[in-house]
Parts: sequence; structure tokens; C-alpha cells
Amino acid sequence: MSAPDEAEVTAALARHGVHLSPAQVRAILPGAAIVRRMIEQVNAPLPREAEPAVTFSAEPRK
Amino acid sequence: MSAIPTIAEAAALIAARKLSPVELVTEQLARINMLDPALHAFLLVTQERAMADARASEARQMAGALRGRLDGIPIAHKDIYNTANIRTTAHSKLLEHNVPTQDAFTVRKWAEAGTVMLGKLATHEFAFGGPSFDLPWPPARNPWNTEHFTAGSSSGTGAAVAAGLILGGTGSDTGGSIRGPAALCGTAGIKPTYGLCSRAGILPLAYSLDHAGPLAWTAEDCAILLQAMAGYDPADPACAERPVADFGADLNKGAKGLRVGVVRHFFEDDHRVSDATLSGINAAVDFYRREGAEVRDITLSPMGEYHAPGYLIMITEAFTLHLPWLRGNFPEYAEMFRDRVATAALVSGNDITQAQRRRRLLVRELTDAMADFDVIVTAAAPGEAPRIDEVPKWTSMEKPSFTMPFNVTGFPAITIRTGFGAGGLPVAMQLVAKPFAEPTLFRAAHAYERAMEWHKQRPALG
Repeated sequence: MSAPDEAEVTAALARHGVHLSPAQVRAILPGAAIVRRMIEQVNAPLPREAEPAVTFSAEPRK
Repeated sequence: MSAIPTIAEAAALIAARKLSPVELVTEQLARINMLDPALHAFLLVTQERAMADARASEARQMAGALRGRLDGIPIAHKDIYNTANIRTTAHSKLLEHNVPTQDAFTVRKWAEAGTVMLGKLATHEFAFGGPSFDLPWPPARNPWNTEHFTAGSSSGTGAAVAAGLILGGTGSDTGGSIRGPAALCGTAGIKPTYGLCSRAGILPLAYSLDHAGPLAWTAEDCAILLQAMAGYDPADPACAERPVADFGADLNKGAKGLRVGVVRHFFEDDHRVSDATLSGINAAVDFYRREGAEVRDITLSPMGEYHAPGYLIMITEAFTLHLPWLRGNFPEYAEMFRDRVATAALVSGNDITQAQRRRRLLVRELTDAMADFDVIVTAAAPGEAPRIDEVPKWTSMEKPSFTMPFNVTGFPAITIRTGFGAGGLPVAMQLVAKPFAEPTLFRAAHAYERAMEWHKQRPALG
């Protein structure tokens, strides 16, 4: 995956209802590139025996 | 008295009626008036409250009814801890006029222990973005050199403890926000086990990574403060329902017999530290070996394997929390906070699921790796504090953090000073123990502090 560009970041924020000016989006781009690298890192293949993702307790705490 | 006492020293003097809580707080308030205009550690000084607390403490002292070692001790709270009828801003324009009606659980516990509250302390905005110069209050500055950074986000607590304005204070730690300021300001600071301290009434950053804990001048003082902070609170769903250990129980047992693992690749390969930080850690390792500890290197996954899922979980939980305000009030946040948190819009549900899967694997890895060790040693920060005007906006993301692995896994970790760097500012190390093994952590930290006596050097101020 390549570093996200201005259009991609604008669209991603807009999906969450955050509408920013082009200058505001450009200020985020260097950080967006770092986050993209982290996303690639956590999506690297895991071994088949890797623990299931999220567990929870059905019994509420008192 | 002229020298700043530790909490342990002040408590002994108060118990012996050789130190008046009113005189102590009067001296502390004078010190704040003199030094804080250059340090900006306080957002609010609650002078009337402090004097009232001190008078009440002194009445108990005279009546022989002190509540314990924290009775009469001057403290302050990071300004994300709710304080009833006292402004709590998160150092943000968005909460500039926010006045809670109730104390946070931990604020109440410290008040019940007899502490004297001096005020509210600077933080990075909402415990994340900083240093920021576009907020209603300036960022805190490092007492060892006010041109330098404190780290964050418990920046005011680190600065206030280092400058001797308070004897201890609250912090919070989501990715290193207690241990970072402790490292750069030359104090001690502990992030306890996840679930040991309630976060109820503390403004959150990321629910599954946030920890509450204290900063103080020494590990022993942190143990005293943590004793009065820890405990089950049903209002925090992550709070552990289990008895609280005696954190001072093993304090004087020394290092002999401890099994110490050194995560050397973290600070030699994954994120190379400064020469002074490296020599400080190596000297500490030599100390433990000399004292009769069993010391061996230990290998974990590269630090970046911990950093990536931790960071993604942190910004995504923060983004979720702040989304209603980000939609309508984006420019009212400081640039540091809003731009860092906004990057979470790129993170998908799939990404977070994968991050959580990795988190569980990392918890298992650290649990297995520590099976034969009591504590592990690694770095707390890459080196001395940088200049405050030279902290890049993305610095906390670009290189893997030494502290995040223990937020991701929830293991307790303490930072203590190991010396000074070439610039005359403190350098530090981090010690980590098994979950709920804080007494062992304090034992290892106290043995080193007592032998090396770095804590006897204070910044030259005023």
C-alpha cells in the first residue's frame, strides 16, 4: 500500500462526518503515512494457531 | 526547613511532630509563587483549599490522629483528574470552563488519606497532544533546563515534582505518559498493572490502555502514593477486584536473589539510545549483578511489533471518544492533538481486530518470557530531554516507544533516574514486573536508588 494522499484522507475523515479544509488535511498527511505503515504491520499474516481476536465475558461485573 | 523532603522523610517528621503541615504547605506555596512562572507546571493553584487541608492535617497531628504517611503531604493532580467544584480542563480550550461536581475515585482516596491539595497540573491536551503552544495555557517546562521538554502527557506533574513544588502528584499513562515525564524530569513514576487503579472520574484517552498512577521523587514515595490510590472500584469496569498488596513490604529486601532480565535489543537495536542512557542502564545491570541478582539477557519481539498495535488502538479509541467534538470543533483543539488523532480515520475495523489479535499474542509472549524473571530492565526514553521548541509533531509515532509495550500488555513498569547526559539533563531506565507484582518492582527500584543516590541531586532553581 502506498502513502495515503489528500483525497483518500479527505474521504476517510468525511466518512466519519469530519469535514476539513484542504490545508487541514495536508497537515495530517505525514502522520497518515506513518499510520499506514503501522496498519500494514498489524495486517502481516499471523500463524494459523494465533489466538482468536477479541474475547469478552458474558457475565457482567457486579 | 530549606531542603525539599521526600514523602517518606516528611511523613516521619510530621509523625514525630517535628514538621508542621501548615508550615510545609506555606513553604511549598511560596516556592510555587517563585518558580512556577517560569515552569508553567500548574494550571491552577488552589491556595485556600491547600491551607484548609493543611490546617485539618495539623489538627489531626496535634490530636495524635494522623491518618497515615500521606497526612499533611502536599500533592497536586494532573488536570484530567476530576476535582469537585474545582476546574478540570484537560489543558484544552474545549473544557476551559469545565467544573466537575465529583472527585475522581483516586482524588477522593488521596484526600481521605489526608493529603494537602495544591492545585491542578499541566498536561498535554487530553493527555495526548503536546507540547502545544496554541492553547489557553503554555506547556510545562523542564526544571533542569527550562528551554527543554518535559515529555508528556503528565508534563506538569513531572515538572512540579522535579522542581520540588509538590512532593508527589497524579499522572496517567496510555503509551508512556507517566514514565516519559519521569525519565526526562529525573523523577520516579510508576504505571501500575492495568486494573490496579480506578480510572473513574479521570478524563479518558484510550480506555483499554489508560492507567492511573503517581509520580514522585523516589520509588519509595511512589509506593506510598500508590498504596493510597489502588483498590477496587466498580465504577471502572477494568478495575481488578482483588486485595491490594502492601507495596512497601519488600522495599528493603535488596537486590540479592532477584532474577533480572535485560531486554537489550530494545535499546541497542530497535531504538538506539544515547550513550549516557546506555551507560546508565549498563551500570544498573552491573549493580544488580554485583548485589547478587541473577542477570540474563532476554529477547522479545522487536519493539515495533508492540508499538504498532498499541498506537493504532490508542488513536482509534481516542478518535471514537472525541469524534462528536472533532466533527464540529476541529480548530478548537491544538494542532498536535487534532492532527494526530485524525489519522485514526484511516484505521478500519479489520485493522483493529488484527491489532487486538496481536495484542493477545504479545501478552502471551511477555508472560512466557518473564516466567523465569522477577523484573526486566530496559530503557525508558531514548536520551535526555530535547529542546521544547524542537519536538516534531509526529515524533511519538515515527520511532517505537520504550513504554508502549507495557501499556499493550498491562504489565507494571517504573521509571527511575540513572544519571545525567552530556547536556546535564537526567537519563533513566525502566523496570518491569509481572502483573500485580508491584512490591517486587519497588524492591528492585529502591535497592538501586538507595545505592546510587541520584535522587540527592535536585535541579538548581531560584
